[in-house]
Formats: sequence, structure tokens, C-alpha cells
Amino acid sequence: MSDDLSILLLTLRVAAIATLLILPLGIFAAWHLARRRSPGRTLIETLLSLPLVLPPTAVGLLLLEALRKSGPIGRLLDQAGVEILFTWKAVVLATAVMSFPLLVRPVRTAFEEIDPRLIAMGRSLGSGPVAVFRRVALPLAWRGILAGTLLAFSRALGEFGATIMIAGSIPGRTQTMALAIFQRTHIGQDEGAMRLVGVTVVIAFAAVWTTEILTRRRAQRTSA
Amino acid sequence: MIDLDVSLPLARFPLRVTAKLAGDAVAVLGPSGAGKTSLLEAIAGLRPHASGRIAVGDAVLMDTATGISLPPERRRVGYVPQDACLFPHLDVRGNVRFGMAANARAGIFDEAVAILQIAPLLSRFPVTLSGGERQRVALARAIATEPRLLLLDEPLAAVDPELKGKILPYLLRVREALRIPFLYVTHNAGEARAVAQEAVVLREGTVLFSGPPDDALRSMSLVDPEARFDNVLAGSLAAGRSAGETGSLSVGSTRFAVPVEEHELREGRAVFSVAPDDVLVSTRPLEGISARNVHPGTVISREISGATAWIRVAAGGIEWTARLTRGAADELALLPGATVWIAVKTHAFRRLS
Repeated sequence: MSDDLSILLLTLRVAAIATLLILPLGIFAAWHLARRRSPGRTLIETLLSLPLVLPPTAVGLLLLEALRKSGPIGRLLDQAGVEILFTWKAVVLATAVMSFPLLVRPVRTAFEEIDPRLIAMGRSLGSGPVAVFRRVALPLAWRGILAGTLLAFSRALGEFGATIMIAGSIPGRTQTMALAIFQRTHIGQDEGAMRLVGVTVVIAFAAVWTTEILTRRRAQRTSA
Repeated sequence: MIDLDVSLPLARFPLRVTAKLAGDAVAVLGPSGAGKTSLLEAIAGLRPHASGRIAVGDAVLMDTATGISLPPERRRVGYVPQDACLFPHLDVRGNVRFGMAANARAGIFDEAVAILQIAPLLSRFPVTLSGGERQRVALARAIATEPRLLLLDEPLAAVDPELKGKILPYLLRVREALRIPFLYVTHNAGEARAVAQEAVVLREGTVLFSGPPDDALRSMSLVDPEARFDNVLAGSLAAGRSAGETGSLSVGSTRFAVPVEEHELREGRAVFSVAPDDVLVSTRPLEGISARNVHPGTVISREISGATAWIRVAAGGIEWTARLTRGAADELALLPGATVWIAVKTHAFRRLS
């Protein structure tokens, strides 16, 4: 049971850190994808969506190649004395990369639904581009941002393929719920696996329930 | 002093407006799709493809020849678009406060709220407001930024007939209380005469006429099928002694009998409008007629537009616009200089404020 708890805490911690890390970046990317009509837009969009459609293990392998000590990023990290592969940081990195497109999509849609004239109005009323983003775009896209955040967080909780490639499944260090469920089933601990499944169901249920309630309240206030 | 030399490619034709406007109150007239809204947006800095020069007083907002083009947030222009464009996530208070600088003049918020009479609306959200209320909030939001210029786009009558003329009395109040120069887009030449010292008539992106609003009539009747020429009278109102009695509106030295609703018994400044269809013109002295407002006058001009004749008459110290059939105008020989009498029923006066 104490194993279960530590697995749960590790999973929640990793998913939360990964989501918080990609949140500002994802909102920034979504805002620019929604606003700019540049020629490179489609290319960037496609690149950002790749983790959605590639096999997670393929993404994991690409990350592994980049991060190994002879790899382009790994060398720099090694010089700086930072170790990522097969630590909890690797779990964060894998889940962050895999969750990123799920965060960006709903946020981008929410930004696209804002009447561009409201943004123009905000500028005309004296707010610069950054202030208008903060005072008009962010509050109006609130629901999409929440939906994207919870979607990304849920995806992070269940990340498996990329994680096992760059972080392994080390109990107490990198073994999250998804990895533990697989390992326990593999070694015949079906009961222990089911316990973890039950916990994940509760967490997922709570996350979706919260989103529903929050978004409905918001909808009443602005459209009643 | 508003100096405009604006070019902007539009879908159907290029906008090319050159005008030096000496007046502080300018009406922008013209048919739908003439580029009036595009002109306002270019002045506000919301059209990145605009080029040329825009100056308001000493402030140069744009001068592409010298590479100046202030971003919208630095133009200090109070833009009130047709559909008000209020922020849906903020209540009325939040909307009005949105553009107020940190060092805004103390009391400007209260002043804006008082002039536009929106105090009862402050805690409401835009979705719960009527079209006229939204316009007032948008105007309050604009003046709370202490702009150097106001840009007002009149809501189209086709979209919401209830809105027609509703914003005009408030604009008059803003003009009196704050003296901010403004450009006012309207289809109503009568309104233009009431609020503006100067008028610009646009057609297909170019200036067809620029000058005193009184003289804009001719070009307006030619180019704008939606044009209205309401007679707008602003004066001081003395209500009848008891409810049900007619009130007396003094404009200059002339008094007009006007209707006064019981809930409007308050006296003081009032604005009424009379549709040009409600102004009767006679070539003989009128006697034994039920209309309470009969004044002798002189025909100033006659414009024929299809089967319609627009007759302008100076009577009772006011220039009236009357709409007659062309046949009637011909039969009565209503040519400039002719002596006439005009008659207006009390209930033809519609109160605007």
C-alpha cells in the first residue's frame, strides 16, 4: 500500500511539473498560431502536433538520441553537469513533450474564437499587445486554457511509451502509475495493478468533473 | 483641427480621403459601403495598410512619408464602433475603467458615468444590455480615456431601428461637457446639422463634399438612399402647467408647441426631431388649421431626387427640410426665394432628450 502511495505521489508530481512547464509555452504558441497568418504557420503546427500521431516510443527514441552523452543536447547537459536520462526529470520531459499538443489545440481554438475586433478595441483603449493579451485574450480564452491544461495533465498522468524509452521503469524513481500497472500485470500481480487502475479512474473522474463544473459556472456568468 | 490624407486599399475600391477639417465637430456622411467605417478605423490605427498623414491638432498620429505611425494604444483616440464592441467578460464598470490610465484625471470615471447616465448599469454584463445602452457604455468607455479625438460610428437603422438617434442627445451632452473634438458617422443629415460644424460626404472611398453640414444635403440626397434629413431642434423646454398640456420649446426667439409626456415634465434643455415628411408647406397664409406651429418663411433651395423634392425653408429662425412629391413642388412653384408658410403638428415633434 505504501508503494501505491509513493507511485501515486510520483505520478502526480511529475504530471503537475510537466503541465506547469508547458503551460506558458503552450499558451504562447497557441496565441501566435491563432493570430499570425505567416507562411511557416502550417509547418510549425504540423511539427507541434507530431507527438499526437507518432508512436510514443518513436518520440522516446528521438529524445533518447538527442539526450545521450554523445547527442547534441546531451553533450551540453553533460558539460553543465545535469543528468536527465533515467531520472524523474526524464519522466517530466517525456510527459511534457507528449502532452504539449493536447494543451495547444483547445487553447488555440479558444483564442481563434475571440472576435479580433475586441483585441483591436483593447489596443485602441490604450493597452499594448502584451497588456491586451493579459486583459482581453486570456480571460476570454479561460475555458479553453482550463480544458487544455486538464487534458494535458490527464495525458501526462498516463504517459507510457516515451517515458519508458528515456526514463525506464525504476521503482521509486521513475515508475509512474502507467508503468507500474504494466509491470505488475506482467509479473502476475493483477490485484495490485487493479488497485492502481482504481486510483487512476478516481483521479481522471475528479479532473473531468472539476472542468465541467468550472466551465459551466463561467458560461452562466458571461452569457446569462 | 483634423488633417486627413489617408489612403487604404479596400476590397471594392481604394479609400482616398483628403480633408482639412477646421471644426471640432465633424459629421461623416455617405451611403453604406462608402468607406466611412474604414476611415474611422484607419484614424484609430486599426488598419495596418493605411498610408498618408493623420494629424489631430498638434499631434501627428501617422505620417508615412516620415515613417511615423503610432500604434493604436498611443493614438489616444476614443473609438465607438457600430456594434459598441464591449468586452463580454467585464461588467459595465470594468468596461468603462478599461482604458483609464493609472494617472487618469480624478473624477473622470464619475463624469463619464453621469454624462451617459449609466450609473444603474454599472454592475451589469454587456449581454444583458439593450443596443442603446451598449452604445452609451461604449461612449463612456471612450471618453474615460480622455481622448484627443472621438470617433463615433452610428449603428445602422437596418440593424436596430430602436437605436436610431438614441446616441445623439448623449453626444450633444459629451460635446457640451467635455469639448472633445469628434468625427460622427451618420446617415442622418439632420443630425449632422444638429451636432456638427462641418460635414464630409464620402462616396466609394473619396470625398464627394466637404463643408458646412447645411450644404451637404444636395450630395447626400444624390448618393445615399438611406439618408434621412430629420429636422433637429435643440432649445429650452418649458413644460405646461399641468400634465397633458403641451410644452413650449424655445429655440432662439421662436417658440414651438411640443408634446410633453407626464414622466418628462422636467424642464431645461431638450432636443426634438421632426421628420421632413411631417413639415407641410403652403404658399398661402395658413388659418384655421389644427397644427399648432405655423411660421412664415422663405424657400432657400429645392433638390429633386427621383419623384421626391427636398425643399429647404427658413422659417421661425430655423432652416427646415421638408419632403414633398415632385408634383406638389412643381405645382406650388416652390423655387428659391418664394414666400411660404410651414406647418408642423405638435405631435410631429419627437423627443430625443
